[in-house]
Amino acid sequence: MKSKVISLTNVILKNSFQNMETAKSANENKKSKSMVVLYVFVFIYLAGIMGVFSNGLIKELMAINQEQMFLGLILLAIALFVLIQSIFSAINILYYSKDNEYILPLPIKPSQIVASKTNVLLITEYFIVAIIGLIPLIIYGILTSASVLYYIAMLIVILAFPIIPTLISSLLVLIIMSFAKFTKNRNRFQLIATIFVLIVVLAASFALNNTTATPEELVEMVTKANGLVEMVRHAFPTLGMAINGLTEANIGKQILNLFLLVLTTGVIYFIYILIGQKLYLKGAVGNLSSGKKTKKKLNEEKAFRNSSLTRTYIGKEFKTLIRNPIFFMQCVLPAILFPVLMIVFSFMGIKQEQGGEIADITGMITDKTSIYLGIGILCAIQFFLMFVYISATAISRDGQNAVFMKYIPVPLMKQIDYKVIPNIVMTTFMNIITIIIVQYLFKLPIIYLLLITIAGIVMGILQSYVSIIVDLKKPKLEWSSEYAVVKQNMNLIWPVVLALLNITILIILTIIVGKSLNSYITVGLIIVLYSILTVIVRNYIKNNVEKLFEKIY
Amino acid sequence: MIKIENVSKSYVKGKKSIDNLNLEIKDGEIFGFLGPNGAGKTTTIKMITGILNIDEGDILIDGKSITKNPLEAKKEFGFVPDNPDMFLKLKGIEYLNFLADIYEIPNAERREKIETLTKKFEIYDNLNSEMQSYSHGMRQKIIICGVLLNNPRNWILDEPMTGLDPKSSHDLKEMMREHSKNGNTVFFSTHVLEVAEKLCDRVGIINRGKLVFVGTFEEMKERFKENKSLEDLFLEITENEE
Repeated sequence: MKSKVISLTNVILKNSFQNMETAKSANENKKSKSMVVLYVFVFIYLAGIMGVFSNGLIKELMAINQEQMFLGLILLAIALFVLIQSIFSAINILYYSKDNEYILPLPIKPSQIVASKTNVLLITEYFIVAIIGLIPLIIYGILTSASVLYYIAMLIVILAFPIIPTLISSLLVLIIMSFAKFTKNRNRFQLIATIFVLIVVLAASFALNNTTATPEELVEMVTKANGLVEMVRHAFPTLGMAINGLTEANIGKQILNLFLLVLTTGVIYFIYILIGQKLYLKGAVGNLSSGKKTKKKLNEEKAFRNSSLTRTYIGKEFKTLIRNPIFFMQCVLPAILFPVLMIVFSFMGIKQEQGGEIADITGMITDKTSIYLGIGILCAIQFFLMFVYISATAISRDGQNAVFMKYIPVPLMKQIDYKVIPNIVMTTFMNIITIIIVQYLFKLPIIYLLLITIAGIVMGILQSYVSIIVDLKKPKLEWSSEYAVVKQNMNLIWPVVLALLNITILIILTIIVGKSLNSYITVGLIIVLYSILTVIVRNYIKNNVEKLFEKIY
Repeated sequence: MIKIENVSKSYVKGKKSIDNLNLEIKDGEIFGFLGPNGAGKTTTIKMITGILNIDEGDILIDGKSITKNPLEAKKEFGFVPDNPDMFLKLKGIEYLNFLADIYEIPNAERREKIETLTKKFEIYDNLNSEMQSYSHGMRQKIIICGVLLNNPRNWILDEPMTGLDPKSSHDLKEMMREHSKNGNTVFFSTHVLEVAEKLCDRVGIINRGKLVFVGTFEEMKERFKENKSLEDLFLEITENEE
């Protein structure tokens, strides 16, 4: 049993990361080395941000003797992040992955398949946990001059703690998907199921997070050293054990807590596998025969209508994007999800602040603060843009079919313009939602708000064109699963790089001109700058379109 | 008419995948393009259709150069690729309408053509389902229907018989004959020698990027003066060149 699970885990992992190995010739090798450098750079950049943030927060909390609250917050953040992230990954790895076609006929028990696939899921989750968890915890250790035991405990916690949130999401996916065989339209069911699970998990996380305390309790917590951490201790089942495992002064108690954490995780893993054995095949087997075989009659009146090339081409792009569950979840959903998450978070924030503080801030907005606010909004939008890669996968999503673009009598530049439109539409949508929330909170002057919206949209258009250049230069046309295009694709680092670059430019710009210019002119300047950049980038594509398409054949 | 003039192509510097290819497929002709795996058949077809750039030489489709005037040249042919897994998330009718919009086919004509073609290939009843649910043969058929919508003068087909059931294969061959009878050109690659023998007016055999034979089957037999089977002749021609 064990060896089968380990070798299957190995195979699935290798198979999914194989596509990322680009080293072939010396030239390619050089390129892949520079990609590694880029990855390291982005990792350090993000880690740096986490480091600076942690350093500040821990020092603040130490000043009021509440530093353990930091551990509670970080672990809670890991739990929430892993819960949400692993829903997408779980449904993809367990059910949509094409390797199911080869794995299901093999003499392997469902529990072994579930175990292997969950292991793969966990290993990928650890990458994220390394960024949001490891660095802050190390900084905590340094600032509180912790002993070696803390670092050992930290490793155990980092390895064990993310397992239960992953299992909760996977379990929800397993349960929901086992109903798939009762539905007629499987694709739609899978989509609705994913969104449903997501909502359940989000609602649950908010419910957990929303621990209320009476003012008296609060005063008691704050006055007691490290009393504040009590607020979050019970927000997640194993959170208390993890915090105690890290901070308990008595070594015996510390080891006991760590032991309990590992034991609980182990027991839940075991129960999860048992349930997986019962449920997995119900959803997975039916999933192979996707697509409805029944014949639907044509509506002959409507079926043969002609429309303009622009409409039909863009329509095709949207249809292929929305009807494919993996593309929809990875490319479209984040653009809708992030603003919605923001709405929920901000409503919760308002509820907690009872509107008092926000109203105070609104009253205090001066021209200088509105510059910072405007730039802050644009930076936030840039952050969200990192996760919108409709353009960055526009060519690769077509796979070997991408050659179609080259033999139809439609100019290549026109097709590029059509292909970036879904990306522009989604980024614009995201912009508008973000702006609406900001307006609800801060009540900025309408014209200023309009300027910020335009700036955001122009930056979104630039991102759309830059991303498609990346995809044209290094298209990933040979893929066996859609998942490989949207997840195991090195190109997707470029939208992140571009967003980080834009954030840096925005900050530098504010520092340089923010002092001497007013907020309207500053944002106006950003619009002009990014419009010029967009025109330059689009012209570059236009002038080199034949060359850019060379790799597609 | 398709005219290939002194065409060469290298993927790797110094190693020609297609070496000075010259070929003319006349109006009213069915031309079969044969050769072992990796000989350069698909590369040639990709250059004719504008998918691959040409290093040297030029290709003219009804007199229009695919390098100098690609958009006009692309209007002159219909291409059926070897892999029919295209736009699987679109419904059959959506795919055909998409192509009809690209080739600007007016409403009345489009309805009549789609109905005739898809009924002939027996896929009319499936038009309202996503192509994902089609079998390999059905996918092949709908792609062929898509190409025929525009009624291009030149048909270019890469391994068109693969995956077709006997009836559809027969129908397609009939349509190819009819198309050429009307003075149009059919250019297709195949591995099936019997198909080529029965269908083609002329064949070209390519091996290691070089055209090693062009002519009718009678000329092939004549040239070798042997009463061998087609398969033996093919093997002899391609092996002699190695």
